[in-house]
Amino acid sequence: MRVQFKMEGGLAHFPGLNQPVTFDTRQLSAEEAGELGRLIEASGFFDLPETSAPRRAAADGHRYTIAVSSPEHSHTISVEDPIEETSVRALVDYLRMKTRELRAASRARGSP
Amino acid sequence: MGDQAVHRHSIFCALPPQILRRVAEYGTEEQREAALRTMATDNTFRTLRAIRLAAPVTAVASTALTVDGQVQRTIFDARNRTSLPGRVVRAEGASETGDVAVDEAYDGLGDTHEFYRTALNRDSIDDQGMPLNATVHYGRRYDNAFWDGRRMVFGDGDGVLFNRFTIAVDITAHEMAHGVTESEAQLIYANQSGALNESLSDVFGSLVKQYRNDKQDAAEADWLIGEGLLAEDVQGTALRSMKEPGTAFDDPVLGRDPQPGHMDDFVRTDEDNGGVHINSGIPNRAFYLVATAIGGFAGDRAGRIWYAALRDPRLRPNSMFRRFARLTAVNAWNLFPDGDEHRIVRDAWRQVGVDI
Repeated sequence: MRVQFKMEGGLAHFPGLNQPVTFDTRQLSAEEAGELGRLIEASGFFDLPETSAPRRAAADGHRYTIAVSSPEHSHTISVEDPIEETSVRALVDYLRMKTRELRAASRARGSP
Repeated sequence: MGDQAVHRHSIFCALPPQILRRVAEYGTEEQREAALRTMATDNTFRTLRAIRLAAPVTAVASTALTVDGQVQRTIFDARNRTSLPGRVVRAEGASETGDVAVDEAYDGLGDTHEFYRTALNRDSIDDQGMPLNATVHYGRRYDNAFWDGRRMVFGDGDGVLFNRFTIAVDITAHEMAHGVTESEAQLIYANQSGALNESLSDVFGSLVKQYRNDKQDAAEADWLIGEGLLAEDVQGTALRSMKEPGTAFDDPVLGRDPQPGHMDDFVRTDEDNGGVHINSGIPNRAFYLVATAIGGFAGDRAGRIWYAALRDPRLRPNSMFRRFARLTAVNAWNLFPDGDEHRIVRDAWRQVGVDI
């Protein structure tokens, strides 16, 4: 299963932080792959609407786009801060954390 | 400067524009001051605008009665969860809590409210004393702050790329200014109107910071948005520079500051709602040019011109840069008919490639 995660918007536009990141469960540890799969399942991901309507009068919130593809399913959602569904929020938080770890590792290696 | 509460019921509010202009030119110093203030905040515009709009406007409603002109702040703690608003941790008048994010938000809201009240004669976000609510400690290591339509929300940052988002008063004021823009013009948060919306938040955010720095001279201000927000190892000084768009950061992880400072470099993109945080660099620089050419504390003249343009009924939700630029020039002339301000305004826009 491949999970692509993209973040945009926010208080400022950072080109480096707005690049999509892809996680392939075959390349994750068993624990990470398991956690990711559990979060996707718990959110009812494949039944979620594709896009949440932009919030009227809101500003500077992040918009998160998550695309999941597996041999059986393929679906993309796009949600904006503040995210109301706890299970979707948990998935977003996990992907944010993993993305941050990836970028921290890149920074330590001295490459983007 | 005069008692704002008295001014709101002043006879000057009832005078038609041509009389106000004569008083502004020939009156005593006190009369001129009162007339100029009235012209900047004439409630006739509000009535005209209400008639023009006709369509329902999402009202940014007050939820409590407040004493005229007094701030009413409530700070909430989300305790690293994402349920809003969180738990009340500091109400208006309460003493410092020792939680730096809570206390910074409280002070930042107070300074912002005071700036709007004293420099622009505006009573809070909706000009009707709307209570100011902010939530801090939102999420876990959340690298952002936003306005959700009713309140300001602040993350703690991750400590690696970003510090806590309450650290810079201009960020707090930036978020609150989104509420003001929504109350006045409802600029659509996409493309050029969205970049204007963003720029207005940077403009008033900067003015609050400069106001807090003893109303510092425009030439002394750093014109940086969010200085202190980027963590120590990040290669950058701030989120944005109004003085030199595109120079605020250049970091291996964040990337390079993408802001243009001229219409020739306008960024066409689907990202970021059509680049609202990107192309805001152009009107930002225009304001910087106006403020520094006029001189003195930017809130006194440039800020009042921009505020008058924001409140002008001809500014529509889908207005683009040129419309707004024209309104700044018209309102500069209305406010300062005998000065150089309107020429300075036109020239500034020309310098960033917006011909009016």
